[in-house]
Amino acid sequence: MFEEKLKEFEPIFYPKSIAVIGASATSIKAGSLWVWALRSAGFPGLIYPVGASGGQIADLKIFPNLRLVPGEVDYVIVAIPRQSVLELLDDCAAKNVKAVQFFTAGFSEIDAQQGRKLEEQMLEKARQGNLRIIGPNCIGVYCPEHKIPFLLGILGESGSVGFVSQSGGIATKLVTNGIARHINYSKGVSFGNGIDLDASDFLQYLAADPKTKVIGAYLEGTRDGACLFNTMKEVAKVKPLVVWKGGRTEAGAQAAMSHTGSLASSAAIWSAMLKQSGAIEVHSLEELTDTLLIFQQLRHWQGTRAAIIGGLADGGGGNSVAAGDACMENGLKVPPLSFETKQKLSELLGEVGSILRNPVDVSQAQFRGLAALFQAIDLIARDTIIDIVLIQEDIDILLPIYSRKGLEEINEFFIELGSRQNKPIIVVLPSGSAEPERLQIEQKLLAASIPVFCSMEHAAKAICKLNKYSCRQEAK
Amino acid sequence: MIKSQNLLTEVESKELLKKAGIPVVEAKLARSKKEAISVSKEMGFPVVLKISSPDVVHKSDSGGVKLGLANATQVGKAYTEIISSVKQAYPEAQIEGVSVQPMAPSGVEVIVGMSKDPQFGPVLMFGLGGILVEVLKDVSFRIVPVTERDAREMIREIKGYPILEGYRGQKPASIPALEKLIVKVSQFVEKNPQIKELDLNPIFAYPDKAVAVDARIILE
Repeated sequence: MFEEKLKEFEPIFYPKSIAVIGASATSIKAGSLWVWALRSAGFPGLIYPVGASGGQIADLKIFPNLRLVPGEVDYVIVAIPRQSVLELLDDCAAKNVKAVQFFTAGFSEIDAQQGRKLEEQMLEKARQGNLRIIGPNCIGVYCPEHKIPFLLGILGESGSVGFVSQSGGIATKLVTNGIARHINYSKGVSFGNGIDLDASDFLQYLAADPKTKVIGAYLEGTRDGACLFNTMKEVAKVKPLVVWKGGRTEAGAQAAMSHTGSLASSAAIWSAMLKQSGAIEVHSLEELTDTLLIFQQLRHWQGTRAAIIGGLADGGGGNSVAAGDACMENGLKVPPLSFETKQKLSELLGEVGSILRNPVDVSQAQFRGLAALFQAIDLIARDTIIDIVLIQEDIDILLPIYSRKGLEEINEFFIELGSRQNKPIIVVLPSGSAEPERLQIEQKLLAASIPVFCSMEHAAKAICKLNKYSCRQEAK
Repeated sequence: MIKSQNLLTEVESKELLKKAGIPVVEAKLARSKKEAISVSKEMGFPVVLKISSPDVVHKSDSGGVKLGLANATQVGKAYTEIISSVKQAYPEAQIEGVSVQPMAPSGVEVIVGMSKDPQFGPVLMFGLGGILVEVLKDVSFRIVPVTERDAREMIREIKGYPILEGYRGQKPASIPALEKLIVKVSQFVEKNPQIKELDLNPIFAYPDKAVAVDARIILE
């Protein structure tokens, strides 16, 4: 599907050469930052800084005009004032450039009349010059595989998650949160005003891109709702599509004479559209990254019967009750463990001080050594009544009891269990008073493909989304 | 009163809907008291009379609706009362007469409607009728074209769905009939882009069928 997009977008995500317009040797301009970012990221193609001042950025000569660049230019990044953009598009057409990304802002987003008019003129020039526009008012393309960073040189590892974002700020947060949580992107794009290439185009590309397995999107509006709706329907058929619609509360209901008209708010219609197209709707950056993380790690999973294991060392009671509530309220089932499992657990841990139903409190293991703890968790994970294992790991409680060494062993056991068990092992690491250790453990678990969440609620929501999607796919 | 050149009367709206295969309780226009009585006799009592005017959107607010009329005398009296109370409420309204229709036995009340979203075009709405749609806004939406699967999901999405399944001895509503009706409405608005808004409110859903009791179409 959308195979033609692969070739069409090759110069955008895998350009052989990039020219940056608005570079300067002396002053710190956005153009110069872009040149530095590409250079330090190790962009494998040619970089051509262009700027009136001339001179050099590191070992790169600054050309006074795009037309004077000696070689071919696939992709152009523009960071010059808006008065000069039309002239620049003539230069791009003359150089046979394939795509132009405008960091330049100040168009229809601030000035509906003048800005819109200028955008129309840009579009006209792009059509004539046979080139595509990304933006204006955007930070453009992110492609770790081809060492194209976001502005400021932000570059994470290459992976399987693709994203589109209308906003550059959200796009940047997606990448930085991704770096923190091991969500690794295949490609991303921030397309701003989207006067030419917009969400639909990039979603089609990501659907066709063999490197992309799951797609996230942040959208605020669309200029062509029918196209977006049809695109989403097609895209969601082949890859999980997670969408966060921003600006849900704007007053969209115009004067209406029917009941239907007065009840059809913009937010309700977007939700309906997303549901109907088979996309997964989320409502915040955290929910978006949680959902992308679980899809990246598990891809496909059916089953919502969760074992909740808490009180690894102590403090299991109330926390386990709260964890059970959070899971049930967000759509997971927390069934009692089987009789056999309970019996074995009680032999192992003793009756007193433990809760062996589900949520399970295994705190008595602390008096019987780590081997008993591991054995208990293993028993629970093996229970056929359970589809998925959720472990609450309170670092600030574990640390004084088991010390760093014990903590390390515990997490190594989780990793080993995760690789051996054919059901997902998910760890919840609430923040607390031992942040440095918690962060270290989070990184270690994530690197070993164990999904980590900050709370049971977040984990439960993400699991339920994955389950729902997987069931829906199965039903097709 | 909302003045509108583009509001089709109930009789006109139902004719269009019927042609599109959407089940409606048929209504006939009667331009005089005499005609109202003869149409009622043709249809069989009890009947319902409603004001027929392109200028009156909310018919019952101005005393423009009389239900359960059991004989010719009641129909005649109702005709006079409707015309005079609407004239009093809206002196400027252009009045064509009244619509006459058989009194439908009560069923589970639901609403199906269409409005146009500036970004996504025609959108269908489904909900339970009466207080549930007005106060609780317990409705679901889908973008046109609405498939059978969409219709199935939008019906099950509302919180009041158990009521449709038959709650506390109440007769259930035919879900397949509602699904079919929604898909038909979607096809109807797709074929008629000049329709700006549409309300089938209420629809009476029975164990074996669903019929639109009142209908309103507003053109662009």
